[in-house]
Amino acid sequence: MSVWLLALALMVPVLTMFYASISASSGVFSHLWQTVLPDYIQNTLLLGAWVVFLVIVFGVPSAAIISQTNVYGRRFLRWLLLLPLAMPAYLVAYLYTDLFDYAGPLQRFLRAQFDWQSPQDYWFFDIRTLAGAGVIIALVLFPYVYMLTRTAFEQQDKHLLRASRTLGFSAGQTLFKVSIPLARPAIAVAASLVLMETLADFATVQYFAVNTLTTAIYDTWLGYGDIAAANAIASVLTLLVFIVLVLEQRSRAHQQHQTNRPNQAQPLLQLTMWQNLLASGYCWLLVVAGFLLPMILLLAMAFDYSTGEQVVELLDTGVNSLTIAAYVATIATVLALVFASYRRFSQSKGKQLPLQISGFGYAIPGTVLAMAMLATFGPLDHWLNDLAASMEWQQPGLILSGTIFAIVIALVVRFIAIANGTLASGYDQIAKSLDYAPASLGVSLPKAVGRVHLPLLRPSIFVAWLLVFVEAMKELPAVLLLRPFNFDTLSTHIYQLISDERLEQGALGAILIVAFGLLPIIWLNKEKAQS
Amino acid sequence: MIKQAFRASNIAVQLANKQILQDISFELAAGDILGLVGPSGCGKTTLLNTIAGFINQQRGELEIDQALTISASKPMPPEQRRIGMIFQDYALFPHLTVAANIKFGLSKLSKAEQAQRCSDLLALLKLDDFADRYPHQLSGGQQQRVAIARALAPRPKLLLLDEPFSNIDARLRNELMLELRQLLKSQGITAIFVTHNKDEVFTFADKIAVMHQGKIAQFGVPSEVCQQPNSWQVADFLQLGSWLSVVKQAGVLQSALGVLDFVSVEQLDTLADGSDKQLLIKPQYLVLAPTVKANVAVKHVSVTEQGYHYLVAPIGASVADNESSSPEQLLSFYSADIFQVEQPLSLSVAAHQALIF
Repeated sequence: MSVWLLALALMVPVLTMFYASISASSGVFSHLWQTVLPDYIQNTLLLGAWVVFLVIVFGVPSAAIISQTNVYGRRFLRWLLLLPLAMPAYLVAYLYTDLFDYAGPLQRFLRAQFDWQSPQDYWFFDIRTLAGAGVIIALVLFPYVYMLTRTAFEQQDKHLLRASRTLGFSAGQTLFKVSIPLARPAIAVAASLVLMETLADFATVQYFAVNTLTTAIYDTWLGYGDIAAANAIASVLTLLVFIVLVLEQRSRAHQQHQTNRPNQAQPLLQLTMWQNLLASGYCWLLVVAGFLLPMILLLAMAFDYSTGEQVVELLDTGVNSLTIAAYVATIATVLALVFASYRRFSQSKGKQLPLQISGFGYAIPGTVLAMAMLATFGPLDHWLNDLAASMEWQQPGLILSGTIFAIVIALVVRFIAIANGTLASGYDQIAKSLDYAPASLGVSLPKAVGRVHLPLLRPSIFVAWLLVFVEAMKELPAVLLLRPFNFDTLSTHIYQLISDERLEQGALGAILIVAFGLLPIIWLNKEKAQS
Repeated sequence: MIKQAFRASNIAVQLANKQILQDISFELAAGDILGLVGPSGCGKTTLLNTIAGFINQQRGELEIDQALTISASKPMPPEQRRIGMIFQDYALFPHLTVAANIKFGLSKLSKAEQAQRCSDLLALLKLDDFADRYPHQLSGGQQQRVAIARALAPRPKLLLLDEPFSNIDARLRNELMLELRQLLKSQGITAIFVTHNKDEVFTFADKIAVMHQGKIAQFGVPSEVCQQPNSWQVADFLQLGSWLSVVKQAGVLQSALGVLDFVSVEQLDTLADGSDKQLLIKPQYLVLAPTVKANVAVKHVSVTEQGYHYLVAPIGASVADNESSSPEQLLSFYSADIFQVEQPLSLSVAAHQALIF
């Protein structure tokens, strides 16, 4: 029962926010609806659709090329294609704007080369648009689609592919007739994950001045101080996310084609030299555009502009980031351990529910979570202060909503799903018979958990902690909205510099963020190589 | 003259530098059903995959329907071979309905022709009511029928079946085997199937090929192979009987059950004096001989529909024999009488055409 309450407690802020926005004066909502909201919703949906389209165009062919053909450099491309995940989209946005803008090196070079004088003399794409934001977001998110689709391809029953061959289809035709249709649920899951991330994106669209629901929440709250309106917009965004979440869960339910006969022995599609160059070029283009080029630009920037002063600044914000991330990772891992253990050992019918309920947080955008924390802890703080005043104690101030407490809770809610998943699958790898064996040896279950399960789970616990830690390090919008005055983390610091168009001074910090982002990818790759 | 439907000559296959198949040659007439049997690792599945085209041979030639010749230097992808295949797990496309599965290989036909062929097959395999179901909504037997319909739809010249009955309940297996055999016969389909189960071979096949270490140890009609196995391996794998150690001494064949005097002089002449051999004894040739002194002891009794089945061990055999009363050292026979475990009995070997290896 207490486990249930704990899981529900994590969702309380979001519910509070809903309640607050419903009970807010209806004037707020109708005013929003008549002014900016339709635009924001339209932009959000357009951006979502565009990104999903792009990640499928990027992710599915690359997954097919890597898993089904003898493409050049297959062994390296296999993991290189995952690297863009480590790049925060807003970093790429900044770097590419620098590169492709009118005043950027590329256009300057073109003008000098062809003797063009002004923008009227030639056409060049404008990156600071909704379309440009979509391309950049897709470039760093497509690895989700690539990874899940590739895994789906690799786990397809090789007999299904052979059956198609004996029924008259060539290996290439089989790819389109069987492999891709079979991978559809996996593609759908990946696409909905990308869609959630896109809906949650704040910094990229903000930087490009594309008004979406996340930027609207931010502007309404920090710009106009209108918490009721911000709550209302956050609720609309949550509804959108919820629809995507339902789509995702339904797609997952359809993922039942996988077998235990992975098709490793399946011979690869032999490409002709030109096809091979094209295929490998496509993959390299994605790797370069999504990771290598931004990384090189960052390194060059760091090399040119780094100073000792920046390192000191970096240490300050870095310590803040590490502190928050460590709190979040520890709390999330402990809670996830409780939920996963409950699922494992409880006799009750709904033993999975705490795990599932607490896991929904991953779908909720950081900006929404921030609003939820404010909606919940703001009144609580006021109540505490009133209480203190009436008791004639010193007033504590905003101890909940105005400190890192709110940030930590928000990030725990957002990232506990990662720890949940890691620990639940860790438990699944422990044979069920080990639950009973200790009892037959006269050892009670609670003791057995300590002596058998926890030691066996140790690697999973470590990985769960690490993954949450990294995500908490990188998270931006929730921290940006909730941080106490004059408090900066690595990511908010970088974001500030980006907003002020002087990332040069934070290039080292940006590299640090990317480096942290690489950790889970390295782990992911190791995991795959072992299995 | 019956048309030749399939020929393999001198097939050799190497995988990862290991010789998996060697000197595989045989022919099948149109409508023949061939059973490939052998212990696991003997290469039977590799042979099936080579015929299907999933593996290419390093040497030798395959000829399908006298029309397609596939040599090591001119391999042909599976989709051009006009073969049908039924997989062990059926490999039905989970995202397609039964009808769509059956029509999968018919894309070269017009829509109307596809529908016609599909409904014919649905009727033939008694699947009419399941056309719109998905594979996971069907029972194992129904799934197998869909797999058969799908494989037959493009009218393959040769049907390959990989352990077709291994996923079927033992009780239903015989029934399904007879049903499928009847179907293949009525359609005149040439088929090759792989199994490790000797009962399936004897029920289902017109010809059998017993494989051993990448070669065909014996090829022939089941009754012939059963009566005249050409090697110890063939007889042992097909479990045609039990083994009795014999030794030729002073011109006669000695055994734990006494002198075997029914062995012909010509056959004795082929054996060297003093050499240890194994005599294959089918259960029906072991008979109770009350007059002779007890020479075996009962080790195991099981009840069967043909009476009691006994495993007995020779008494007073050499030390080496006593040490290991493992099942292959035991003799097997049936009797209607009840004996107790460890009860001594006297058995003799009835006169028959001896098979000595």
